Amino acid sequence: MRQKLLNALIGIVVALLLGAILLLLQGYDPLATYEALFRYSLFGYYPFATTLRNAVPLVLPGLSAAIAFASGVVNLGQPGQLVMGALFATVGGLYLNLPPALMIPALALLAMLGGVVWAGIAALLRRFFEMSEFIVTLMLNMIADFFTAWAITEPFKDPAAFSPMTPQISPNGWLPEWGEFNTMILFMFAAVVIAWFIFHRWKAGYEWRITGQNALFARLGGCEINRNFMAVMLLTGALAGLAGGLVVMGGPHRFIRGLGANYAWDGVMIAIVANNGLIATFLYGLFFSAIQTGALGMELITSVPNEISQVLQAVLVLVIVASREYLNTFVQQLAARRRAREVRT
Amino acid sequence: MTNPSPLIEMRRIIKVYPPNVVALDDVTVDFRRGEIHSIVGENGAGKSTLMKVLYGLTHANAGEIIYKGSAVHFREPGEAIAAGIGMVHQEIVLIPEYTVWENIVLGVEPVNWLGKIDRQRARRLVQQKIDEFQFNLDPDEKVENISVAARQKVEILTLLYRNVEVLILDEPTAVLTPQEIPQLFAELNRLRASGRTILFISHRLDEVLELSDRITVMRKGKKVDTVPASSTNRQELARMMVGRDVLFTTRRKPKPPGEAVLRVENLTVREDHGRVRLDNLNFEVRAGEIVGVAGVEGNGQFELVNTLMGIQKPTSGHIYIRDVDITHFDILQRRKFISFVPQDRGKMGASLSAPVWEDAIMTHHRLNPRLSGWKGLLLNTRYAQEFTRQLIDTFQVVLPSPRAPFRTLSGGNQQKVVVGRELLLQSDFVLLDQPTRGLDVGSMEYIHDQILRIRSEGRAVLMISADLEEIFLLSDRILVLYRGRLVGNLPVEQTNPQEVGSLMLEGQPQSA
Repeated sequence: MRQKLLNALIGIVVALLLGAILLLLQGYDPLATYEALFRYSLFGYYPFATTLRNAVPLVLPGLSAAIAFASGVVNLGQPGQLVMGALFATVGGLYLNLPPALMIPALALLAMLGGVVWAGIAALLRRFFEMSEFIVTLMLNMIADFFTAWAITEPFKDPAAFSPMTPQISPNGWLPEWGEFNTMILFMFAAVVIAWFIFHRWKAGYEWRITGQNALFARLGGCEINRNFMAVMLLTGALAGLAGGLVVMGGPHRFIRGLGANYAWDGVMIAIVANNGLIATFLYGLFFSAIQTGALGMELITSVPNEISQVLQAVLVLVIVASREYLNTFVQQLAARRRAREVRT
Repeated sequence: MTNPSPLIEMRRIIKVYPPNVVALDDVTVDFRRGEIHSIVGENGAGKSTLMKVLYGLTHANAGEIIYKGSAVHFREPGEAIAAGIGMVHQEIVLIPEYTVWENIVLGVEPVNWLGKIDRQRARRLVQQKIDEFQFNLDPDEKVENISVAARQKVEILTLLYRNVEVLILDEPTAVLTPQEIPQLFAELNRLRASGRTILFISHRLDEVLELSDRITVMRKGKKVDTVPASSTNRQELARMMVGRDVLFTTRRKPKPPGEAVLRVENLTVREDHGRVRLDNLNFEVRAGEIVGVAGVEGNGQFELVNTLMGIQKPTSGHIYIRDVDITHFDILQRRKFISFVPQDRGKMGASLSAPVWEDAIMTHHRLNPRLSGWKGLLLNTRYAQEFTRQLIDTFQVVLPSPRAPFRTLSGGNQQKVVVGRELLLQSDFVLLDQPTRGLDVGSMEYIHDQILRIRSEGRAVLMISADLEEIFLLSDRILVLYRGRLVGNLPVEQTNPQEVGSLMLEGQPQSA
């Protein structure tokens, strides 16, 4: 635990230092840049609320990837599952008409269903034709991309719009704002808590974790490997799908071209940085969101381009992942050397 | 002292494996030219590590090595070989598709003026070495076609071809059958006669006493003593190794077995391309009976375990437990009847990175209702802790905390967790695959006691082991597997290690 915190701290400090060097080389003032970066992401109600809200489409696919990877399931279909979730929620929002108290949960469920369907296709192909979910989920991302693009240019296009997008969904399905905070963050908090509880307190979660660590042991111990695989695929599909639905319901209230952006891939990256820990995924998700959010504000008051946020992210990933193993061996070797000295005396 | 000046001196060697495993604790030892010097100790005593330090495979934290009068430090094995020190490891690393001579010259091939390998000269040089040491090998045979014992000779020749003067052999007899060992010893004696020094790692005391000039005993990373072989005996060595007296006789009390628990009928495993792995096996294991399965590894033990556990479907035949046909049961259904201790803890018996309690409750979490919480969905983590405590107490596991990662436990304690978990399942039938492989004498004795205890409880035990001594120590009946066939089904009172050895090697009772 302490080592994880140390790892994160070292990663963040080194990444910021490297970023500062880059900024200096380009002739910018690093201190002013960082001050702006964090002023527009963490300090103050509105910046913080925006950071939280932007974290939603990072944290949910991140949880999806973390649970899948830690269970030995290579679900890399979060981008496809996210846009399919968004499409399902949008179509539901266009044709259903329920009071908000029913409409919002219904659309959230539809979003999850979209992700479940998309992940389920890959799971079934693996189950019955032994096709690797690694390849299939990646390929399904392309199909989902083009399928949703077609859906918003042909059957569900807003006739009044000039570019591909759907009409706005029924206002009953809009997620309400509480002051500066959008209620989509409540879904994120709930998802983190529920996912953690399933993963760490359910018998199924226990079997998933052990399977991820040693599948043969789990199998010989009587875990139902096939059923668990299916469950993990569907659950992680639902998490990614929910992210897509929330982006629609909390944001533009319609499916616009490019809605999925890079969220899901960033989420996968965050899961890897977090070493597939669920709480760590949540925290790193917030931090990455802060950098992305702050970079937009920073661009307003400094001349630094917001691409610097991508540079920072890349350096963070490299430093944290690289230092994790090294820190481990380093700490152990230190201990060994100390022990050897004790033995000699 | 009037000792001749030693060839190699290792002084005050300290080695700590990260983070804090003290493998060598201030070890000083010397080796003389032209002696066979055995290093004995339990697993984990540090004998292999000591040799690895000498050979440059790992590096000491402190201490020095004097070789031929000057301090040396080998950064890697290549430097040690160049200086004349070579090591044969437990796992044999040869290229199966290459011939014997090709393997031997690999890396130092003689070449002609065009830079092409001079095959005739290479072959001739290898033949010379074979003749010089009377190794009885055909240099043109492919390695994949020769026995394990012959492969070991190839490894030794590979080093002799590089003109090493000091040969380190890491448990060379562990992979040999009783019949093959005298031949190896004769060869080692010839090498000694030629002036070479042999360092022989083993934990088999009879062999060590027969072969060596001097014996160094190690225990828990420390050197206990170095003694001439002529002035010691088995009991004394065992006492130095373990630190107390050791019983070498069985504590198995004769007792008539009960009714059949496991019954295997016409069990056959044929691979897709027709190779028969298990050939029409018929046997039973009765309540209160320990049945040992002997055989050279790779003669069907793997397939037998896999079909019993349900990892692999048999081509034909049936498996019954208490007259229930389990042939087509899935693994979880089988686990209600079978306790299973696999041969490789890290691969099949536990998750190394999980905390101990998570490894301890495997299978129980499905069969023991107290481990289930609300509607069977939740895991009762509080009871899981309590269950683990019970297991730790009952099986005397030494560990810092049930939450410690499994990999931080010593091998013996890891095995106790696995064995304890399986025996607590209370199944009638217990399948043990090499239950004490790689364990120290203390843990081995403990596991053996547990196996005898469940026998007296009236459970049926099938134990696969590569260790004939263990088979004879525990079994009521011995099955011998040879090329997938059951070539022997012998009550232990009516057979002896020689007979079982020939059955293992040749599939028939009389060796040629």
